[in-house]
Amino acid sequence: MRRKQDSEVGLMDKGNALKKKSLGMLSFMLVLGLITLAMGTMAGNYRGFYLSLTLGTIIVLASIVYIPVVYKRDPGNPQGIAVPTIQSLWISTSMGLGYVVTAYAPYFMLPFPIATALFILGWIMLIAGLYALLSISKEANVSLAV
Amino acid sequence: MSQAEKHAERKDVYGDYATLTIPESETKSTLNIFMIYMGVLAVVAAIFAGSGLAQMYDAATMLEVALLGNIILAIFGGLIAYIGGSTRANTYMILRYPLGRIGSIIGNLIVSAIPLIVWFAVETWLFGITVNVIYPHNVLTSIAAASLWGGFLMMITAYYGFRAMAILSYITVPFWYTLVVIGFFASIDLAGGFSKVWTVRPEVIAPLGAGITYVVGVYASGSVITSDVARYGRKPWSGAVAWATHVTIFMTALLFAGGVMTLLTKTPNVIVAIAQIGLGVGALLLAILGQWTTNDNNVWSAALAWINTTGKLNKKAWVLILGTIGTLIAGVWAGLWGMSLDPFIQFASLLGYFIPPVGAVLIADFYIFRPYVLGLKDIKTRYKFGPGTKYAAINIPGLTATLLGGIIAWLSGVYGLGTPVVNGVLSAFFLYLLIAIPMAKAGIKWEVGEWIEKETGF
Repeated sequence: MRRKQDSEVGLMDKGNALKKKSLGMLSFMLVLGLITLAMGTMAGNYRGFYLSLTLGTIIVLASIVYIPVVYKRDPGNPQGIAVPTIQSLWISTSMGLGYVVTAYAPYFMLPFPIATALFILGWIMLIAGLYALLSISKEANVSLAV
Repeated sequence: MSQAEKHAERKDVYGDYATLTIPESETKSTLNIFMIYMGVLAVVAAIFAGSGLAQMYDAATMLEVALLGNIILAIFGGLIAYIGGSTRANTYMILRYPLGRIGSIIGNLIVSAIPLIVWFAVETWLFGITVNVIYPHNVLTSIAAASLWGGFLMMITAYYGFRAMAILSYITVPFWYTLVVIGFFASIDLAGGFSKVWTVRPEVIAPLGAGITYVVGVYASGSVITSDVARYGRKPWSGAVAWATHVTIFMTALLFAGGVMTLLTKTPNVIVAIAQIGLGVGALLLAILGQWTTNDNNVWSAALAWINTTGKLNKKAWVLILGTIGTLIAGVWAGLWGMSLDPFIQFASLLGYFIPPVGAVLIADFYIFRPYVLGLKDIKTRYKFGPGTKYAAINIPGLTATLLGGIIAWLSGVYGLGTPVVNGVLSAFFLYLLIAIPMAKAGIKWEVGEWIEKETGF
């Protein structure tokens, strides 16, 4: 009986840690998305602005929609926390890749400092997103294909 | 014994439930099924098909043709997906009833085993084109050479099944859709605004029927094998709803976007259009990644189909055999055809003739013949699977209707009579019922031979 209770407490602790990590990561992506949106306003031309508006809005929406979902999930169900987190992170990480491959593209005519900042932010999103995807998937024992 | 217990006892010898029904524990939500279909659609070939349409129509007609063609695909593929969702069985398994066990092997060859090798070759060829657009002046990056080494790399990836490639594939897909949208608006921006979209047109406008056939043909193979994904649906209708939504909305949007980019930039293909717009080398490299990760799936699926056809060798051996064939076809095509889209268009049209009749016969058998003629009203037990299940070796009306439907569609195309794909589907559908119902009512044996399912599901 006692062992069972200890096991349940352990599961809750693990779930709480996972929930905290998931919410932290989604919030991190939300902040980065907002920063890229703000940088878009400094692009100095409509093409660069629309690029940031498109990719940044997708990141912000993917985070804002999923944060309350993850927040409401029961810590005793790690898979219930991991699945929406992974869904959100796939989108944000993909848009991070988008910044990496388009920041210096000639069409968008982004000023060099802004392009470089978006390029770096894109890499941060890509690397952090990948790390979080792999670790959350492993901790919750959930497939990355959710 | 419950269905779950039966599943627990059966070993999945070939992997991915190739010859077994899906257990309840493996089912997925409707949203998940939708995302899987979207992932399949996210290939360069989808917007390349839009380029093909742009050579036939102006933008408004292109939208009309794409929507009509995709509505046909939504209904057709949706009905088949519902069969997969109800029976939890893949295409190769459900074809055992309308075509017979041997007939299903023939159907399997028509639907997947052969076309997927060609798809592998086509995607490899497109890979060669993309590499050549990025790096045009090098022997190793000529279309032929790039197709050969690209095909080899894709085959090796599929052989080892790198997890990293799967991860890259997931990351690529959402941005790939965004990139198509960006490319679409960028091409309009460079052309001088939305008004230009409706004024640009090719020199000769093709008949509507040709375009609808083309659109249906592009995804006909996919719509016949919708059960392969829909069988995982938690609800019987999950796959049907997911399929119909993604094909009507997103396939139409992709075709239109690809077509508009081609019309406005006046380039023969979308990859060149993306390069001309100035979306950067990175975007093109991303397109390569998309092709790569899609194509290793093609060769994996082709291997699955050949296992179901032969019951011999394992997946890895088939990947090597089929990948080598596909790579050689791409190299030869690239050498023979250069950057022309003709092989792609011809292949899509050929699919449009011969694959849909298989689906039409399946629909006629499942929705009409078995419930209303044979009295099998319960949808969940209409098609049964499991060790010891007896199947007919050949379903005579099914095979006859399939072959005649294909021939009618082909002749319609050759002589320009109506819409060939629709002719083929309707012919096969009614021919099956016209042959099967009188035979069944008159007590004439309409199935020959017998095949008993083994423990492995083969």
